[in-house]
Amino acid sequence: MLEELNCKTVFTIPIFGGLDISESTVITWFIIAFVAVLCIVLVRNLSVESPSKKQQVLELAVGGLYNLFDGLLGKAGKRYIPYLMSILIYLGISNVIGILGIKPPTKDMNVTAALALMSIILIEYAGIHAKGGRGFIKSFAQPMAIMTPINILEIFIRPLSLCMRLFGNILGGFVVMELIKYFVPAIIPIPFSFYFDIFDGLIQAYVFVFLTSLFIKESIE
Amino acid sequence: MSTTLIAIGAGIAVLSGAGAGIGIGLATSKAADAIARQPEADSKITKALLLGAALAEATAIYGFVIAFLILILLK
Repeated sequence: MLEELNCKTVFTIPIFGGLDISESTVITWFIIAFVAVLCIVLVRNLSVESPSKKQQVLELAVGGLYNLFDGLLGKAGKRYIPYLMSILIYLGISNVIGILGIKPPTKDMNVTAALALMSIILIEYAGIHAKGGRGFIKSFAQPMAIMTPINILEIFIRPLSLCMRLFGNILGGFVVMELIKYFVPAIIPIPFSFYFDIFDGLIQAYVFVFLTSLFIKESIE
Repeated sequence: MSTTLIAIGAGIAVLSGAGAGIGIGLATSKAADAIARQPEADSKITKALLLGAALAEATAIYGFVIAFLILILLK
């Protein structure tokens, strides 16, 4: 049981004294390839005059996501929407992939830590971009000077909580599913799988980008 | 002996889930109330509820992660 939880090293690249490539990295490569192929296939033969059924569904999906983030970020945050949408798609696929019997990459804490670091760098960059260097430093003393230590602490707390929330949720779902499968191997795991793999995975992907966009909104205001 | 203590410690850490359960339950009951009163504000209420639930749930997740680390590191 405990061996299932660790992320194994698949192979080692023999440069710089051996780079370990872990399982989550390889699964992420497959997800990248899958999404890339999906993008190439879906955007073929697009036309303005006579949109096909496929194109209409695609436009509906992309437009819906775009409007969702547009409502969250407002006008000033428009430039961050493509990043957030790609993170949402990646997280959605990697959380749901557990239903195929593949280990979700987000079960590895290194993956969620990297995503959280990317988010916090983007959040602080958005603050610097919107306010300029001086305004960014001044914003730490908002709304009162006494809040400065708490504002500085937030830089570290935010990525930590983003990372732990995603990791803990996916790992928790995985552990519960493994326990259920251990006790009752047939039929019973199916409804639980719908909850833990699909519903919870999508909700967590949404929550991750939702919180990131909320923080960006806060820092560009 | 030490394994028993480790297991007890992990169990105590997971007790933090109770708080998250109470918090999310309260938030959901209030949200259902609000939607019943103002069905047209449905989407705004859902957004706030999701955010609140995600933040409240974090405490339970921290408890779980701590329990997990206790089990793994003190094995």
